[in-house]
Amino acid sequence: MREKITNPDAIRTWPGKVPVEYVYTVGVASEPFFRALMERGRLLASPCPECGVRYLPPRLFCERCFSRLEASLELEPRGTLEAFTVVHVDLDGNRLDEPQAYGLVRIHGADTALVHRLAASDADEPEVGMEVEAVLLPPAERTGSILDIRHFRPV
Amino acid sequence: MGKVAVVGAGMTRFVRRAQETGKELSYLAARMALDSCGLTLKDVDAVVVGSAPDAFDGVHMKGEYLADGSGGWQKPTLRCFVGGATGVFAPIVGWYHVASGQFDTVLVVCEEKMSSCHPHPQGAFLTIFDHTTERALGPNLLWIFALEMNRYMTVHGITKEEIALVAVKNKKNALDHPCAHLGSEITVDDVLNSEVMAWPVNRLDVSPASDGAAAIVMCSERVAKRVSDRPVWVEGVGWHLDTAYWTNRDLYYPRYVEYAARMAYDMAGIKEPRKEINIVEPYDPFDYKELHHLEGLLFCKPGEAAKLTVDGVTARDGDLPVCPSGGLLGVGNPIAAAGLMKVCELFWQLRGEAGRRQVPGQPRRGLAQAWGDLMQVGTVVILGI
Repeated sequence: MREKITNPDAIRTWPGKVPVEYVYTVGVASEPFFRALMERGRLLASPCPECGVRYLPPRLFCERCFSRLEASLELEPRGTLEAFTVVHVDLDGNRLDEPQAYGLVRIHGADTALVHRLAASDADEPEVGMEVEAVLLPPAERTGSILDIRHFRPV
Repeated sequence: MGKVAVVGAGMTRFVRRAQETGKELSYLAARMALDSCGLTLKDVDAVVVGSAPDAFDGVHMKGEYLADGSGGWQKPTLRCFVGGATGVFAPIVGWYHVASGQFDTVLVVCEEKMSSCHPHPQGAFLTIFDHTTERALGPNLLWIFALEMNRYMTVHGITKEEIALVAVKNKKNALDHPCAHLGSEITVDDVLNSEVMAWPVNRLDVSPASDGAAAIVMCSERVAKRVSDRPVWVEGVGWHLDTAYWTNRDLYYPRYVEYAARMAYDMAGIKEPRKEINIVEPYDPFDYKELHHLEGLLFCKPGEAAKLTVDGVTARDGDLPVCPSGGLLGVGNPIAAAGLMKVCELFWQLRGEAGRRQVPGQPRRGLAQAWGDLMQVGTVVILGI
């Protein structure tokens, strides 16, 4: 058995990295979603005319029946908290100054959940089943990104 | 083993940058393939996804990411990957799903979205080399293929002019392909005078990086006869690995292709490929590779493929049409999708549905081939009607 090597300089190594970055198109289905969020502060869903499933964020296709979908359903950014977690350490194991809560929110009128941050507040302990609403950035600060939603907070 | 047929095919346009996400591209191709044979997702028993490195799309576990767009919802779904050879390997995986008797109808979808990767998808290739003995030198695919092209030209005394004829032919053929990225009418001089990338490779010797998807529907004999009046049968499949060290073989000859081809020929009962196969779609990411691969596929002796091109034998209306689709050089090169595009082309050609690309003489049998990993995996599919 080899001893555990804690100092990589003790053996001969060659450093390397994968030097690529990415630019992702948001896609056909997400373009109107982000436009509606940025311009009107509303959330779009794509209902399947065959299955009836209402996808949010919208999809170009229904995964169940392969129907082509349109993001035709405009919904208020409010819903029900389905699950949550409170994160206390970062990826390197360091304690966070402020724990950060994340949740799955089922927007009223949609059949799928949206993952997002939850407002951090001692007074507002998350609770599964609670009613939450999106807190949006001021219109001038929105860029057409999922972070145009600052977080969800209890109603 | 049961007989396996291809009954439907579809593909998106190949473009430099698609607005669609990878899963949207997959969906468009998969839906087209199903629509082309009147089937729906309900008819599909299992799904095979083919896609090259995750680093192109920039999504790890790309098979899982692409699964819904490929029709995998609540179905047995598998992603396969042998680098650039994936596009012809995915239909082989589809074939054994069906030939095993386990599934009657399998949807095979190949996708690549290379435009996500910046500054260029070549960056993703920098880490395929040995991290200690090679990466320190900064090798990239262009210059290792330049080494191979140089070796091939030198051993056989082949000129850059002869090789450039392949780029001229394929880019012209692609003018007739509605999905093509780079169809164009160019001359040998245009190729020779294009920018030198890594001598002897000039810019027009190389296929572009593209976004796109392609799909086929594969069925058992029982289902194929019910759903299709013109099923195209899988007559042979083959795949093979040469040494995993690209420096451990003589680059002038692609043995990985010969061994894959021999496996497919044995299965199809083919003794003389030149006489028994009517259309060839060899993998042509570089123009010299079409020649290299034709030799590995035993359509001629090593070093003789250039003459076939010079003599017009490989033209669309020649005695042995090669890359009538326009190939990767003309239609484009979204890696896995480009390989499956070649299988789609055989499907359309053998059914007489290739439109302006149709080769004359009612072809009965065609071969598609791709090559990948670090230049040493060959995959071959033979289809017949």
